[in-house]
Amino acid sequence: MDFSAVGAAAAEALTLASFIGIGGGVLLGYIVGVIPGLSRSVAISIAIPMTFYMSPFIAISFLIGLSKGTAAGSAVSAILLNAPGEASSAATALDGYPMAKKGKPKTALQIGLIASVLGDILATIILIFVAIPFARVALLFGPYEMAAILAFALVFIAGLSGGSIFKGLAAGGLGIFLGTIGLDNQTGLPRLTFGYTELMDGMPLIAVAIGTLALSEMFVQSEKLRYDRENMSVALKKDSSDRITWPIFRNILPTILRGTGVGTFVGALPGLGPSVGSFMSYGMAQKAAKDPETFGKGNPKGIAASESADNAVIPAALIPLFGLGIPGNVSAALLIGAFAIHGITVGPLLLRDNPELLYSIFAGMILASVIMLALGWFGLMFFAQITRVPPHVVIPIVIFFCLAGMMLQGYGTFGLIILMAFALLGYLMKKYDYSFVTFLVAFIITPMLELNLRQSIILSRGNVAILLDRPIALFFIACTALALITLIIRTFRTGKPAANAPAD
Amino acid sequence: MPRSDFWSGLAVAGFGLLALLWMIPNYAGSNPFARMPPGLVPSIGAWLMVVCGGIVAAKGLVQMLRAGIAPFTADLHWGAVAWAAWPFAYVAVAIWFMSFIKITWFGAFLIGGMLILLGERRWWMILGCSVVPVALLYVLSVYLMRVGVV
Repeated sequence: MDFSAVGAAAAEALTLASFIGIGGGVLLGYIVGVIPGLSRSVAISIAIPMTFYMSPFIAISFLIGLSKGTAAGSAVSAILLNAPGEASSAATALDGYPMAKKGKPKTALQIGLIASVLGDILATIILIFVAIPFARVALLFGPYEMAAILAFALVFIAGLSGGSIFKGLAAGGLGIFLGTIGLDNQTGLPRLTFGYTELMDGMPLIAVAIGTLALSEMFVQSEKLRYDRENMSVALKKDSSDRITWPIFRNILPTILRGTGVGTFVGALPGLGPSVGSFMSYGMAQKAAKDPETFGKGNPKGIAASESADNAVIPAALIPLFGLGIPGNVSAALLIGAFAIHGITVGPLLLRDNPELLYSIFAGMILASVIMLALGWFGLMFFAQITRVPPHVVIPIVIFFCLAGMMLQGYGTFGLIILMAFALLGYLMKKYDYSFVTFLVAFIITPMLELNLRQSIILSRGNVAILLDRPIALFFIACTALALITLIIRTFRTGKPAANAPAD
Repeated sequence: MPRSDFWSGLAVAGFGLLALLWMIPNYAGSNPFARMPPGLVPSIGAWLMVVCGGIVAAKGLVQMLRAGIAPFTADLHWGAVAWAAWPFAYVAVAIWFMSFIKITWFGAFLIGGMLILLGERRWWMILGCSVVPVALLYVLSVYLMRVGVV
């Protein structure tokens, strides 16, 4: 490891500009997380246009800080409202809300916060120690290996990110098809642009992301308002006995460590989102407990298990991103877009070409965790008040920022029409249970997949037997086939794949 | 669920077929000297849509036949449909407006109008929620990004 680069990275992370950028990201994430209906991916997709004027380090750290903030903030609404800000905090609500109703809302919030921060910091440390050696190995991979790994990741995400495997693959197919629009990099000729010069650079990622994730979600939320406008938040009161104590912390510490382990493992696998991690961790904590019957009735371990795993997933999901350049979930896929906007290729090449930036991002992530603790601890009353903001107030403001984000990028009316088309597509995908996660990941990785596939075909001269000399590629091809067969059999038998949670 | 699976699967498979039979042959381009034709990857995507969409539709159809469900229903709640559709129409009109006026100049009316339609009646809430986001956009675009009023 280059210690001078590490020192420089730490120094960059401790500047005033970094504090403002990362702190702003965490604060914004916290606020978004607290508001039910606004998810992490919605926040990131809207925030990407705001990062244009920032330096690459601050921009990426701002988005990662935002991502971390939403995970911690979603616990507040789960505990006080029984309406999780993110699906991954649903497990937190199981014990958090009963505990708040019993008159201990502040204790529940503090347990959630400490579990979140510890899970996050530990998983970030694991990311730092795993991603760099991982990227060094990945640098040895050729186009055969990369094409095989990308195909495997796509099938894995299609199978595990919710709904039926066939719907997932169909969504992936649409993502692949739309991902090929633009100039063909081999012939230099326009492909599937239908004569529109605006499509020469491909479908604008910002329009696709904001339309599919944010704008469509607002349409879904406004539809829900017809049926549900209830917003009953538990109020925080001044009570000196309502706070976390040393015995409570000692009691929940092993659960936090276990949850962090589960969250890190789940996060490192593409396709399995924080919801799977938090529920898996909750289930394991319940099984390991001496009093499993108290779970669901306000057991602090339930909150700790869920929140530590939920927050550990976020840094761990960056392991395949920094190591291989493969996004494991929507947030990571959006980060690829943010890197691309700043002219940086994410993946193992980042370590070779721009190690200072990678170390700076790691330092920024640690800083984000510390800021998250401070904000969460001292801003408890403020965030509790935000849970009282009704959804009908949030929807028009988010729609405004979706449209403004497109204008900031300079796409004009054509970009807005694309945005609207993808909002409609996203709405229909959510309505009919087609995985928009698979769609978006497929859309983003298709250029990379095509490039590696093309290089593989040219290098092998069409001879498939060359794969016998490439055991890693062969292994991933076998894994892809095996995953596909297993998921199809499972879908036909049970009607559902292995996991049924959004990999947000 | 079987009915929506049937129709959504049919739509996906139909789009895949349209891509395979019309879009890719006419608009993907060709290169007779390339080992990998430019239409290969879009065709893989289109085939995935045809096959998987077809399976989803077939599964839906089988379930409908078993349960005796008709593919169409007259039991449509037009109120619910209208409620789901108006935000789309509202945003579409806003986009049309944006081809004449910058969003910063009419953003407050865009937010305020939607707030009223969604049931908000407190004037101070409507005013605050309409003006503050527009002011933030103004500061971001003019002073931070220096791209001027958008």
